[in-house]
Amino acid sequence: MYNLKKYLPIVIAIFIVSIGALWVISKKNSKKIKEEKIFDIGTFNRIRGCGRHPNFLAKLRVPQPIAIDLSQQRYKGLAFLYGRGLHQAVHLKTWEAFDYFSTYALDPRGNIYLSPMPFVSIKPKTFEFQKNIYFLDTNSGNLSVWLSLDEVKATPNNPFGVIALVYDCDDNTLWVSAIDESSYSKSRGLIYHIDIASKKILQRIKGVDALSLALLKSSKGKFLLMGDARKSQLLAMKIKESRALVTPIKLLELSNSLEHIRKIKIKGENLLELQTIPFSYTLIAQTSDGEDRKYYKAVWQRNVLSWKFKIR
Amino acid sequence: MTKETKISIAILVIGFLAIGLYWFSGNKRGYSIEDERLVLPKIGENNFTKLPEVNEYLADIKEALVKSNGVVPLKSSELDSKAIEVQEFLLHNRDFLADTKDSQGRVEHNDMMTIRPAIVSALSPKTKIKCQMTLCYQAEKYNFVTNTTTRAIVDVKNKKLLELKRFSQMQPDVSKRLRDVAKAIALNAPQIKKELGRSPSVKDMSMANVRSSLNKSPCENQNHLCVAPTFSYHDKEEALWAIVDLTDLKLAAAKWAGLGKTTTPSCISERSFQNREVMEKYCQKDTLYSRDGWSLEYRITGSDGLEIINTTFKKEPVLKSAKIVDWHVAYLSKEGASSLDDSESYVAGRRIEYVKDKNDSFRFGYNDAMGCPMYSTSVVLAFNVPQIKPIVKDGKEVGFYILQDYRNPKWPMACNYRYENRFEFYKDGSFRVVGVNIGRGCGENALYRPVMRIDLDLGAESFYKYSSGSWQKWLTEQSDFQRDAKEYDQGKYLYKITNQKHGYYIEPNRGQFNDNSRGDNATLFATKFKSGEGDEDLLTLGSCCKLDEDGVERYIKTHESIDNQDIVLWYVPRIQNDARAGHEYCWADTVLEDGKLVVKEYPCIVGPKFVPIKR
Repeated sequence: MYNLKKYLPIVIAIFIVSIGALWVISKKNSKKIKEEKIFDIGTFNRIRGCGRHPNFLAKLRVPQPIAIDLSQQRYKGLAFLYGRGLHQAVHLKTWEAFDYFSTYALDPRGNIYLSPMPFVSIKPKTFEFQKNIYFLDTNSGNLSVWLSLDEVKATPNNPFGVIALVYDCDDNTLWVSAIDESSYSKSRGLIYHIDIASKKILQRIKGVDALSLALLKSSKGKFLLMGDARKSQLLAMKIKESRALVTPIKLLELSNSLEHIRKIKIKGENLLELQTIPFSYTLIAQTSDGEDRKYYKAVWQRNVLSWKFKIR
Repeated sequence: MTKETKISIAILVIGFLAIGLYWFSGNKRGYSIEDERLVLPKIGENNFTKLPEVNEYLADIKEALVKSNGVVPLKSSELDSKAIEVQEFLLHNRDFLADTKDSQGRVEHNDMMTIRPAIVSALSPKTKIKCQMTLCYQAEKYNFVTNTTTRAIVDVKNKKLLELKRFSQMQPDVSKRLRDVAKAIALNAPQIKKELGRSPSVKDMSMANVRSSLNKSPCENQNHLCVAPTFSYHDKEEALWAIVDLTDLKLAAAKWAGLGKTTTPSCISERSFQNREVMEKYCQKDTLYSRDGWSLEYRITGSDGLEIINTTFKKEPVLKSAKIVDWHVAYLSKEGASSLDDSESYVAGRRIEYVKDKNDSFRFGYNDAMGCPMYSTSVVLAFNVPQIKPIVKDGKEVGFYILQDYRNPKWPMACNYRYENRFEFYKDGSFRVVGVNIGRGCGENALYRPVMRIDLDLGAESFYKYSSGSWQKWLTEQSDFQRDAKEYDQGKYLYKITNQKHGYYIEPNRGQFNDNSRGDNATLFATKFKSGEGDEDLLTLGSCCKLDEDGVERYIKTHESIDNQDIVLWYVPRIQNDARAGHEYCWADTVLEDGKLVVKEYPCIVGPKFVPIKR
């Protein structure tokens, strides 16, 4: 009996370690499951934006509807299409000075902020253009560099820089995405939150490669939506008191891993429209014609916590 | 303190240390796409025609093409008695079979995929009412050439076609027979056996991921019919997914992936597999290779194609670097120069450059850079991984070559290109830098100019040209038109590069290499090595369309001395494509053959050979 008793501390030690190990293993696995849970973004609906078209279009008596064309198919740079079938256009040669644009954002006065885009056949100034945010004046129609983000450096190994932007009507700021520092092995994209009046960078969020941006208000608050440039997923970051909470949450993932979300539109009640391209940090995707672009309708079914997809 | 107490403390300390290590190490973020391991079949290891399931299927296709309308019927074992009647009816129905021939009346390969009682959701409101009163069956047929699914609703009793719909670029549920073919390919693929470490059996496999109705294909080539049988291992929370291409009857790719609900894409893409394999193994690092006395490293560059570096033969340095930095592509238009404006235009997404010529003619085109499939400025991208194969002449192995295929994703469609970079190494110490063009381009009058950069590693080099019966040394940087040369040393060699001890003759290709080449017609530049002149990735070099410039002229402007220097050779062949029937050159075409679309390739092959000078 004594012989057995002397081993009691060893038995207790093994028991304690075993319990600890079991707890840690279960905790770690539960973490895994938690990360795969569908995030409840709340209910949302389309909200009328505060942006409007530039004043000079009204002066030119350009009738509505007007479409802003950055497709680079008919015009280099920027063009405003109007008329039957959008066959007529307002386009100035001076709007070609900074090559090509990927996204735009309208402010309440009709100014347009534009993000650059590298196109095929890299030219000496191509990389230089990628660090700027461009500005089209609402009254004069002059196109200029609004802000240079000198830390953004496009290179032959990743020709992209500033790639997406969205105007925030709540506080007259821009949310801007740059993906120049990312490489195959590392995601080093940055989201900048910039105050328009002072041109001050209010917040830098590291480690997110956002190919597209949109703002969404739901019953759960305000979110910055981001189309992931590396994966076929849509991410969201909660915005509280004009600051983004820096951990991105995965909202949904498309089934084709080659399709990356290039445009995000809130189309209606719990309804998103997502435009995708086969993005791989090369110029191919940017130059591909319509057939490579796909449009998804993503319906948020909050009652069953799932997204329902429909390809257009 | 007793011995037992000490042991107990040690158990506690070591135990908690181990628990701590476990907590802080490993994958705490759960499964992610970066954890996927990819398996790509090697070219030449992907022939399954000898498998009984495949062989029998191919024989049935052949019979259907010869004897009937090209539709391979479903076997009666897959059908109930009513479905047999429906199949018999449809195989003689003109409307149902209307899309089984092309515009020239040639039969295309079709498969009847399913025939079963009609599903309400597939019926139009009008047909739904009819089918409430009579027994209806639905049948689905797939055309492999046009990638179109035909769905027919048939009134079984009255043998009447109630509804017929064609879904272009859509694919149906596959037949049991094709599922069996896919299973046979997956089970017998050497790559799958290697991954699993054994020969798998049918019970290891699930076909849960067989395509759902009318979806897009998981193949890279979305015009092909693909399915993805899966080998699941629930204990390890992972599965091996195989993509089987039922149009080409091959294993397209496979990957290990997690089984998580939100993490494993239901649709997996062959191209994304290839891209990741190329990026991880060949764009991110150099690969060392030794064979036949040769030792070399190779890598895929961002925009200069496949580069061979640090090459030695029998331990003697030979090459610092060899690569093809660009392909200039120029087309001739015989009129219209006067109406050209200076604005840019685009064809198939590329910016076109125009150069006005004489008599209202002009040249237009672009510069194609070849590079990594991700994170590069190239538009012609590495397709699959580098291949290394023996060179066999007269049944004897005389060396080996390393080849990298580059393609526009939509090749061989018009205005899409395919180039191969090939480096040949022979047992006798000679080597050849080869550029291959397999079309297809935008037209029949394209002039292609690959820009080859070859930096030998002889040290204190001198360069010579053979003319007037002797070797003339070049003292300064300059260029020469090989295409104008009239005499060659020993009938073969036009240039040589040497150091004090040894060197190489340069043998331009004039069609003597038995590869159907029409010659190089090249311009050669010899420049002094300078950093920034192509030692790192070059963006596109020069104009596509100014035929009096190859782009390298900028490096010889100062005419620096190249005697006893590190010399870089730039070799720029000129190739005129040819699309005339029977004379095709630098060309590719898609033709209907045995009921299926086949790509016919007509490569043009250029590049000089370097032959060691024997002393």
